[in-house]
Amino acid sequence: MTPQLVIPFGGLDWTAVAPLTIVALSALLVILADLTLPKSVRRPAALGIALAALAVAGVVALQGWGHPYAAFGGAFVCGGFSIVFQEIVVVAAILSLLLAATLGRDDQSGGALALVLWGASGAMLMAGAANLTTIFLGLELLSLALYCLCALSSRAGAREAALKYLILSSTASAFLLYGLALIFGATGSVALAALAGANISSAMLDVGCGMFLIGLCFKLSLVPFHIWTPDVYEGAPLPVTAFMSVVTKAGTLAVLARFAYVLAPLPQAQSLLVPLWVVAGISMIVGNVAALAQTDIKRLLAYSGIAQLGYIVAALAGTSQQGLRYAIFYLGAYTFMNLGAFAVVALLSREREEGSNLRAFAGLGYRQPLLAAAMTFFLLSLAGLPPTAGFTGKILILATDVDRSFAWLAVLLIVGTAISAYAYFKIVRAMYARTTGAAIQRPTRPASALPWIGVVVCAVVTLVLGLYPIAPSDVLPLVK
Amino acid sequence: MIWALVIVPILAGLLLYALPRSAEAAATWIGVAVAFAAFLVAAFGYGMPDETIRWLQRPFVANFHVGLGGPGYWIVLLLTLTTACALTVARLPRARDFTAQMLVLLGAMTGVFVTRDLMLFALFWDLMLIPVFLVLVAWSPSKSSATAWKYLIYNLAGGLALLLATAAFGIEQGSTDVIGAAPGTLATISDAWSFWIFAGFALAFLIKTPVFPFHTWMPDTYADLPAPMAAVVSAVQSKAGLYGFIVVGAGLLPGPMRAAATAMFALGLVSLVYGALAALASDDTKRVVAYSSLSHLGLILLAVFSFNPIAYAGAIVYVVAHGLFSAGLFVTLGEVETREDTRLLSRLGGLGTRNPRLAGALTIVALAALGLPGLCGFAGEILILTGLYQAGFVWQTIVALVPVVLAAAYMLRLFQGTMHGPVVPDLPEREDMTPREILALAPIVVAIVLLGIDPGPVTAQAAQVLRTAAVSDAGAIARTP
Repeated sequence: MTPQLVIPFGGLDWTAVAPLTIVALSALLVILADLTLPKSVRRPAALGIALAALAVAGVVALQGWGHPYAAFGGAFVCGGFSIVFQEIVVVAAILSLLLAATLGRDDQSGGALALVLWGASGAMLMAGAANLTTIFLGLELLSLALYCLCALSSRAGAREAALKYLILSSTASAFLLYGLALIFGATGSVALAALAGANISSAMLDVGCGMFLIGLCFKLSLVPFHIWTPDVYEGAPLPVTAFMSVVTKAGTLAVLARFAYVLAPLPQAQSLLVPLWVVAGISMIVGNVAALAQTDIKRLLAYSGIAQLGYIVAALAGTSQQGLRYAIFYLGAYTFMNLGAFAVVALLSREREEGSNLRAFAGLGYRQPLLAAAMTFFLLSLAGLPPTAGFTGKILILATDVDRSFAWLAVLLIVGTAISAYAYFKIVRAMYARTTGAAIQRPTRPASALPWIGVVVCAVVTLVLGLYPIAPSDVLPLVK
Repeated sequence: MIWALVIVPILAGLLLYALPRSAEAAATWIGVAVAFAAFLVAAFGYGMPDETIRWLQRPFVANFHVGLGGPGYWIVLLLTLTTACALTVARLPRARDFTAQMLVLLGAMTGVFVTRDLMLFALFWDLMLIPVFLVLVAWSPSKSSATAWKYLIYNLAGGLALLLATAAFGIEQGSTDVIGAAPGTLATISDAWSFWIFAGFALAFLIKTPVFPFHTWMPDTYADLPAPMAAVVSAVQSKAGLYGFIVVGAGLLPGPMRAAATAMFALGLVSLVYGALAALASDDTKRVVAYSSLSHLGLILLAVFSFNPIAYAGAIVYVVAHGLFSAGLFVTLGEVETREDTRLLSRLGGLGTRNPRLAGALTIVALAALGLPGLCGFAGEILILTGLYQAGFVWQTIVALVPVVLAAAYMLRLFQGTMHGPVVPDLPEREDMTPREILALAPIVVAIVLLGIDPGPVTAQAAQVLRTAAVSDAGAIARTP
């Protein structure tokens, strides 16, 4: 490989964080372009810079494959694990930005684009964060960007969503921070690695870990910490919802996985982690049951996301390396099937109205057969039906749960999936039934054809991942 | 080439959507051509070498492994033939879309019967739900899609149980590429696991067949599906469950299969009697056939769980035979419906004087269904009943005889209600069977007669199953008197 560029600042190794630095700095370029360029080219240029920066960051991140090392004195760990999560974040950010082109003026402005980039860099930081301060830094960078993104939109309800998100998410951050402080108090180090080395058994550590996990579950919106999710998803503009639904989850999941796998060897780990698996199990059921009654696609995808995250966390149960690989595989599959569904919604949106109501789908199979077919495919994947990545991912998670004697989680997963079928197929039915939607609407002309790229890419990847499940092999070590 | 049997119909179905919507006739003929070509390839493809592509290495080995042989061979022939025939007579609005869905269904179901890998089996098992659901949503007369939901929820519940059982089987066995493997090559699965794994498979198979008490989706589905798809679904999709019991149950999990025999016998006997009685009482022609299916499939279930070689041979013959005559019944009754715009026996009548050719066609398939010697139904029934008796299930054989007699009653009632009696004046008068409809039904009738005269080729397949499946292990056969 190419020799690494090491700037002599002690443990400061900037190549380790090069991808997220590129993303974060390019946000400044985006703002600059938005301020200086003539009006006609402003938006395409800003969007182009953002997409290019993300693509470059994705490529740069890949260069580190196979060379795991710790930078910044162990605060940021490079390696297969962080690279995979960074790639997922980059891909999700690119796909969400493709949707941004269809929406109103506020969302397209340079500020919003820059916030998306900063949020993405926060999530990328979380992907590699291996000590308590970097975890919190990444999380807050991501969250603050999202509060602003929610509030930027001129949509009715966006402010409410932003405020709700700000207050509830800050509460979760407070829990998390308090937990971090207690863990630090117990171990005397901010490094996660200290947890693994220290053979401590103290109430302080247990309470700290518990509060830390509660904070993470909040950000992952696992039941019973999920109440904010549907309201925020519904109120936020569509591209932001799409971004939030994957990037927040990917970043938080990276932290959760790293934490759980570091904790696993400890004697009290089982009692600390079992509540997490239980929460995952409950999320699968509650998320899917709540999705049944939804008539707004964004709310439906919010609840479905709660259940899908339950599936992913269930793969971590037993903290096996195999389970981690399948969790990452399913997260990748979820990224594409979920963002594909969002892209379809974006294509149904018009100037002032998002196509997220179930009514917008009535008769779609006869108006826009290709779009309806793509939506059906994404919903099949979300419901875990073949021939999609959702199907293969689910069978891998089932296998690992059975293997690690968590058969009860596998059974809950099956029950949850059975329930979810109605929620997803309700949309399929609306698209193909002759009788729904008395007045069949004329085909809508979307504001931009860019989401079509997202639809096609997501559909192809969902199919290919279903037939050739590639789970990254080099996902450990997690801490140094 | 075996893969082509699966992939080509699915791709052809999806590509049909590229045709202009108005090209309905062209779409139908393309559909018939694809199905018929699949029939020819399958017919001459017996014994083609298996085809394998690697899929998974971890957490268990799974391959895209397909092969054409064993009982699946005859079911694939049945499937391709009935699809070609059903498409020939299909006269529906939006024919292009309907043909496309039929082709996707053809490919998915072919996959179920040619796969040699359990995970692939689960994939096709779930895949074949989707076209039926879409057709129920888009073509059924009901406004609420209640039938579609019932179909989906029942069958998906079964499909997910199958998925979980497959995952557990893969973990315990280390590989899912095991269908048709010689008994000695399999690792032994602990009793506790094999019980639960079998329970998952059995739930899926019982729902799909269906067997009492999981049958309630079936009459509604058959009644609401357009006749051509009802023909294919009743002829072939319902066989997937029985095929599963034979290939997965007896072949891979013989222990729990034998342990479950008593319970399955009970369910089979209830289905047998209940289906026959319900068929006697139904007023809707399609429901009569649906309930008669419940009864006939219950009989096959008994045969599968008797572990008797003769009964097994009978089961496989009857699987094919039932497919032939139920497809024939749905096709002819579909033609009655398109002529008279009703399916109610209380409304219909006297069609025989106006449409004698249609009456003739219905006679042949109804006689096959009630088990007239010389036609295919009889060949299967007599083998099953002989085998059951030989295996020592005396009173069960006697109970099983009752619905066989009742079959004559409800089939004759069906025929009488539609064809005999005075002409109903307020029903429309339409022309008799067209040459196209005769052409569509002819292969089914020929097959019904051929199989009735000489079921030998099919029973030879059964012998092969018995050799490979665990039924053949000496203990099982020695224990059956």
